[in-house]
Amino acid sequence: MSRYIARRLLQAIPLLIIISILIFVLLRSSGDPLATMGGRRVTRPDDRARLARVLGLDQPIYMQYIYWLIGNDWVMIDVDGDGVPETQGSRRGVLRGDFGNSLVTRGKSAVEIITERLPNTLMLMIPTEIIILTISLSIGIYSALRQYSILDQVVTAGSFIGYSMPIFFIALASMYLFAVNFRKWGLPYLPTVGMFDPKVGKTTSQIIWHMVLPILSMSVISISGYSRYIRSQMLEVISQDYIRTAYAKGLSERMVLIGHALKNASIPIVTLIGIDIPFLLGGAVVTETIFGWPGMGRLFIDHLSRYDVPVVMGILMLISIAVVISQLLTDLVYGWLDPRIRYD
Amino acid sequence: MSFKRTIWIGLLLLTMISLVLAGCARATEEPVAPPPEDTEPAPPPTEAPPAEPKIITIAWTQEPDTLNQAYSAMWYSWATTAVWHCWPWQYDENNEPYPHMLTEMPTVSADGLVITMNLRDDITWSDGTPITADDFVFTHEMIINPANAVDSTYPYDYFEISAPDAQTVVMTFEEPFTPWMSNLWQGVLKPKHVLQPVFDSEGTLDEAEWNLAPTVSCGPFVFDEWESGSFIRFVKNENYWGGEPKLDAVVFQFVPDDAAQTAAALAGDVDIAFWPPYEDIPAFRDAGLNIVTQASGYNEGWYFNMREMASPGVKDLVVRKAIAMSLDRASNTAIRLGVVKPVKTFFDAIPAFVDPTLEPWPYDPEAAKQLLEDAGYVDSDGDGIREDLDGNPLTLTQGNTTKEERLNYQAVAQQQLLEVGIDLQILSYDADILFGSFSDAGPAAIGDLDIMQWSDAPAFPDPDTDYWLCSEMPSEEYPWGYNYFFCDETLDALFKKQLVTVDADERAAVFHEISRYMHENVYWLGIWEDPDVWIVNPRLSGYLFSGVTPFFNIMDWDVVE
Repeated sequence: MSRYIARRLLQAIPLLIIISILIFVLLRSSGDPLATMGGRRVTRPDDRARLARVLGLDQPIYMQYIYWLIGNDWVMIDVDGDGVPETQGSRRGVLRGDFGNSLVTRGKSAVEIITERLPNTLMLMIPTEIIILTISLSIGIYSALRQYSILDQVVTAGSFIGYSMPIFFIALASMYLFAVNFRKWGLPYLPTVGMFDPKVGKTTSQIIWHMVLPILSMSVISISGYSRYIRSQMLEVISQDYIRTAYAKGLSERMVLIGHALKNASIPIVTLIGIDIPFLLGGAVVTETIFGWPGMGRLFIDHLSRYDVPVVMGILMLISIAVVISQLLTDLVYGWLDPRIRYD
Repeated sequence: MSFKRTIWIGLLLLTMISLVLAGCARATEEPVAPPPEDTEPAPPPTEAPPAEPKIITIAWTQEPDTLNQAYSAMWYSWATTAVWHCWPWQYDENNEPYPHMLTEMPTVSADGLVITMNLRDDITWSDGTPITADDFVFTHEMIINPANAVDSTYPYDYFEISAPDAQTVVMTFEEPFTPWMSNLWQGVLKPKHVLQPVFDSEGTLDEAEWNLAPTVSCGPFVFDEWESGSFIRFVKNENYWGGEPKLDAVVFQFVPDDAAQTAAALAGDVDIAFWPPYEDIPAFRDAGLNIVTQASGYNEGWYFNMREMASPGVKDLVVRKAIAMSLDRASNTAIRLGVVKPVKTFFDAIPAFVDPTLEPWPYDPEAAKQLLEDAGYVDSDGDGIREDLDGNPLTLTQGNTTKEERLNYQAVAQQQLLEVGIDLQILSYDADILFGSFSDAGPAAIGDLDIMQWSDAPAFPDPDTDYWLCSEMPSEEYPWGYNYFFCDETLDALFKKQLVTVDADERAAVFHEISRYMHENVYWLGIWEDPDVWIVNPRLSGYLFSGVTPFFNIMDWDVVE
């Protein structure tokens, strides 16, 4: 097992380097971070040239990538534009833990900016994922066991409705209903935007209160999709011979369902969860934007729109690493769920 | 361990992690405790309870990148400076300048080369340190010093600065710079006693803490906290030299989504919303919120591309006049719920610089048809689209950004132009693509579009603009040029002339000529005025807005519950 894990991790290194090259080239080719730096006027050519030198954007893309990867503290830079490099570079590069300073929030490192937002996103996404899994499992299993019952029909119809609605619609509709109209009608209401009320403070109760609508919005669609998937997996498994055998051996229904049926039905579900987990780090762009939640999704969009290479690269590499790790974990869980799978 | 137990332990762990994350959140203020449930009669009050802090929340759809204006290009950063910083002169609700840190408005020498500012002797930073001319000299030095990667050195690299005494600042230019009032010292002043040591030790201000947390400033409020992605809070400056603000704190809460901003304003979660979609105006009216519009110099307009790659039709003055008379701009404005009005020139928000004899182009489709007929544009094949004398259809391309209001207007304009036989092919792009440089093949820069629509302003409240300068034409050699339109030597000369015409009346006369020349040649066609629109909760009082320094009288704002 440990050899397998080590091999997978070693294989991930060239993969991550290839990913980083692709992302870097795409990002640097897609727009010009200097275009929006001119104040109320379009950036003047003199300012553009000066900023390009200082920020290292005057270099060819491959050199910019090398500086991003291994730093530029081994070369001299021409900051004053006289053609003679006179200033020692100061960046240490990603391999030495320096993702560089943001081009937007200058003076602040990309890592600092990301680590400010990451807990906010996890705070929102982890409970959301727990709620999605808990409710989806309950609905999916119930629907499979009571196939074509009235409740199954109702849940099926509800799933289709939930899955058909775009998240921005759910988010705005729930905001107007529970925050605007409930207040107007004199009912207990929820807050519209933010992670907490700045007038009250960043307290646990404030954060939980502000989480309700974003979690509700994100959960509806996912629960609809997951519950259908779990239902079909369970239906397939409970018709297998080994389930009948388990019943024949006198096991209780609960033991059969949870110990045998659900465990086997979980393999494809684990695949889905394995795909979901890395993107928990990336946040939910639409939900965070509508509810003003200060998470990674908004951070990504805000900085991507201004081609802030250090921050965007930081976020994407974080997600890439999470994808590699979660896929490894998923493979390990397969081995635990299905004894036929061996890694040694 | 059974599967069931594993599941529950896993869920428990995840729940605990998320609760720990929430619990680890640093409490920025103690929560307001609920009133205790009294079990005994309360004793008679001996003194008045402490007043509730007066805090207002302003919805801000974009989060500032930094608060140091030398490093920022964002309006959403710059606009906050009237709250926490100080300007030598500010602008009132009529967009008229008045001295703020000065004893009088700056004086300009007869040749326009020397501008002198006399500072008040009672102005101080929030830590009590006097503000002197040295702070201005230091700020100038920092902006033009190449060690600091500021966004732009404009126009601080146009002049030298000196401080003959602590209250006098002298700026000496090589040639007159008439739009100085709209371009100098707008929220950029830096406290020398705070930042000089930083520069001395680090060799640059690029990473100075003050940039993101200017705890020493000179406005009615002072920086308190910036929660990334959430809000910036400014609290009352106890040492403010201009008096005592009535509010205790001003919070700019980041609400990036327009619809969410509207909901937050309607729900009362924010006290002020800015620049909401026009279609939300009735909802605000119904909710009893106040709607304040303020000219900011911005106008939505059509820009005509007459470079060599443009369609022949758009280069013909007759066609441009016909377009101007085919668009029912007054009705279109009515669609925007009476909040905005039609405009006739690029400089309408500064009437002193517009030829008073100018009349807007009338909506007269029949006259437009006649003009086209007379010039030989006829529909010879009966398809509803006119052809020129060479048989080429009168088809023009028009493009703008994907903003919904523009997309809607495109469709209306297309229909109205078709009625007079002009075929308008409409396109839309994301803003960063539309305004991409020549080398990035931006559609505006490379001339893919005959007509472009967006909202922009001159250096408001000064009328100066570089838009139509011949030197700004984009090309392979100069890919960043932003004159996407044409080079007219006459217009170019007029724009250069106004820049060095020191006498105010003479300069206004030059602009009268510019406005008339552009109007008669239909070089720019105003669609609607694009003012600042503020939605204000009625619990606020005393508020006024300027189109230049929006929060210029924040000192006088109050909460009337």
